[in-house]
Amino acid sequence: MEPILIILCVVVGGLLASLGAHLLPVGGAPAAMGTATGIATGTVQIMLGAAMTGLFTAASAATFTDSLLLVALSGAIGATVMICVVMLMANILYTFGCGIVPVSGRVDVDPLTKEPQAPYKTPQTDGHGVPNVVYVSGMLGGFVGGFGGALMYFALLNYADFTAGTAAIGALSIFVPNAIIAAYNIRGTIEGFHDPKFKRLPFAMVTSLVVSLLCGILVVIASYLTVGGTM
Amino acid sequence: MTVTPAVVEEEPTKKGLSFKLPLDETEMGLVAGIVAAIVLVFTGLPAVIKGIALILAFLWGMDSVRKTSKYGLGTGVPSIGVLATGFGVVGALVGLALAKYGSIEGVAYPAVLVGAILMGVIGLVAGILSNHEKVIAMKIPRLERAMMELGMAGTLIILLECSIVTGSLNFDAVVNQVLNTGLIAFMFIFTCFGLLHPYNACLGPDENRERTRMVAVEITGLICAFLGFAMIILSSSSWALWNGVSLLIFGVAVWAYFFWLFIKACMDEAYETVGTGMIKTIE
Amino acid sequence: MGLIVVLLFAWMLVIAFLAFLACTFEDLESDMGSQSNPNSQVQLAAQIGQVNRFFNKAISGEPLSNAMYCATAGTIAWLLLLKLEPLVPGEEWKAAVLAIPIGVAVAAAINIIFSMTAHCGRTAAQKRFEQPIYLDVLYGHLLPIATHAFMTTFFITCIAYIQCNLGTLSGNPALNHPFALPLLGFIWGITVGAIGSSTGDVHYGAEREFQDRPFGEGKRVVYHGKITRYAECGVRTQRDIAGFCAKFGGPITGMTFGLIILFENWRSLVGMQLGGYLPNLAASAGNSAVTWAIVMGLIIVIALAVVNYVFVRWVRKKCGPFVGV
Repeated sequence: MEPILIILCVVVGGLLASLGAHLLPVGGAPAAMGTATGIATGTVQIMLGAAMTGLFTAASAATFTDSLLLVALSGAIGATVMICVVMLMANILYTFGCGIVPVSGRVDVDPLTKEPQAPYKTPQTDGHGVPNVVYVSGMLGGFVGGFGGALMYFALLNYADFTAGTAAIGALSIFVPNAIIAAYNIRGTIEGFHDPKFKRLPFAMVTSLVVSLLCGILVVIASYLTVGGTM
Repeated sequence: MTVTPAVVEEEPTKKGLSFKLPLDETEMGLVAGIVAAIVLVFTGLPAVIKGIALILAFLWGMDSVRKTSKYGLGTGVPSIGVLATGFGVVGALVGLALAKYGSIEGVAYPAVLVGAILMGVIGLVAGILSNHEKVIAMKIPRLERAMMELGMAGTLIILLECSIVTGSLNFDAVVNQVLNTGLIAFMFIFTCFGLLHPYNACLGPDENRERTRMVAVEITGLICAFLGFAMIILSSSSWALWNGVSLLIFGVAVWAYFFWLFIKACMDEAYETVGTGMIKTIE
Repeated sequence: MGLIVVLLFAWMLVIAFLAFLACTFEDLESDMGSQSNPNSQVQLAAQIGQVNRFFNKAISGEPLSNAMYCATAGTIAWLLLLKLEPLVPGEEWKAAVLAIPIGVAVAAAINIIFSMTAHCGRTAAQKRFEQPIYLDVLYGHLLPIATHAFMTTFFITCIAYIQCNLGTLSGNPALNHPFALPLLGFIWGITVGAIGSSTGDVHYGAEREFQDRPFGEGKRVVYHGKITRYAECGVRTQRDIAGFCAKFGGPITGMTFGLIILFENWRSLVGMQLGGYLPNLAASAGNSAVTWAIVMGLIIVIALAVVNYVFVRWVRKKCGPFVGV
């Protein structure tokens, strides 16, 4: 029962969830038509999918290690593996299924590989597929989001002394509002760290900070009142 | 190709086919909040009464989701329902932890309401930050109030469901029977759907509140039926067993009636209901 | 290597295979009822005058809806297992043979209920666009949707059951996953839906929904809503779509989930083996097991990034710049 550590982990986890949601390349409904770059689903949904995969691995890891860093890293790597496979397979599907070349719509030249983007883009669209810079951004987003989710799980499990099931659903419940607030901040689609919308990040971070801080305090209250209980 | 001009006035819905309570959104919130809070405090009440309170709480939450989502959230209706449920679970944990203060064991747990109030505060803060021009600037009228209501409704719903299954709000009982068994996963996802599905399913320019409310009641009926089944299996006394059986029957009856009513209302109020047919060709 | 290790690896492969099937059917289920992101076009079609015979199954996004089916199936199966397992002491798996299909059947019934409310509600809300409710479309799609959902939910519930009892099945109960069956169903439901909507939707949304538009380009904003309303023969309904997507989109989506499950479990098991945690579950080896698993995961991530880099370069070279108008 360490109140400061609980609050710190929950707040950091919430901030990382928000940051991860901004880094993930989210195309939303337009991406499913090849009208926008990114993964063809909403921010919350892909963030939840990645974080849940990470949480599953982190929960197994937490049964045989007591190290905060190792559990959080397990979750982070789990989420990254999930998001990497999804982005690679989405590219394969775009290419072989629909004959679409991965191209970014927000930049004319790929900032990392210096490949030209504009000539490959279909007119009247906002890019399609998952080009290299977007892929890297997605990897980082998965890593950060998974780390945040697993961090919260570990804090609730070991510092607040909840049982595994309670800790999982508690971590999920704090993770979800943060990811959703990030989604409201993004409004639709985002490509990653090179997207102009990424500059809106501080707004979501402030909101996440406040919400996770309050949630962290509530968790501490719940944990404090049930010390010695079986929670 | 032209879009048909908007229908100015809707024809009144046919008598006997619409679920109409003379309550507007604010009245609904007040009534539902007060009734759900009272029923929640007295855990010794029969499960069916808790089921009725659950229906009211879902109607309240659905109204909040509806009036928020009308303005377009930018990421779909479901997110706001999930947000409410996420808040609800955290609030329920706090409420349960507080429950032992001032309680009469097995009869009344007034302190759980503090959880709902705290969650209302967090929802209000989240709403203010989301709507504030200098922060996220979602520009949705009365988002602050809606998020506060969603936090409170979510907490009340999760607590009512826990109270139905365990028959008390004793912390250890809830942890052992709901949280450790994974039943919370079921409650989490069905609370999400009870809040988001009514408006999501009826979304469109000709959506109307009566139809949307029927879906909320229908889904609550389903939840009651499942919780009744869980009570029957988990029951350790004949009182819990009969509570479960009555809740199961109540849930199935509510579900069947409102499902029939909703499908009937949709078919009557749609442009046309035809057995089969070709589509309108476009020249 | 002891028997436990071999069995663990064998169960891991079974889980990966079940995951492959689960996500294949998940994608087809969402195509069969037009769910998730491409449904925005079906919704839009009627609004711009394109009255259609598509099934408008707007049950939230796929992650949530699949989490609902799987959590329902998991809960019912778990409740039944509570009653059935004491009847067959020592051979608990026999109870699962009965409990899981019953739970999954209930989930499929839930699917039918939600599909009906979503289709009728959304169509009735499009009254001013003269979109009728076609009863044959309504009734004709319910069973195909429910059977696809049954398959998905069945495989996911099996995965959850196996992981819940992994230790017991392979000889050491300490290896059971700490989460309960409904919670595991919920987690894998969210994941299977997230993958199904992010990968599989593309084949339906970008290709099949706009099949009378040119192949090989992103669908322009002016096309939005103008979906292909006629099939190879007659008016298109959603049943024409599942057959098309089953040829490419479905299996690729299934492979995505299968690979994720395979990589995730494989790296954990190999980490346990390399770290010396198996087969005796030496508590002192826990940290090194996790470290090895993380290292294996990093190698997989880097390998995937390289594959993607090479693939994107190759595709851009092969296809060249955009040449249409």
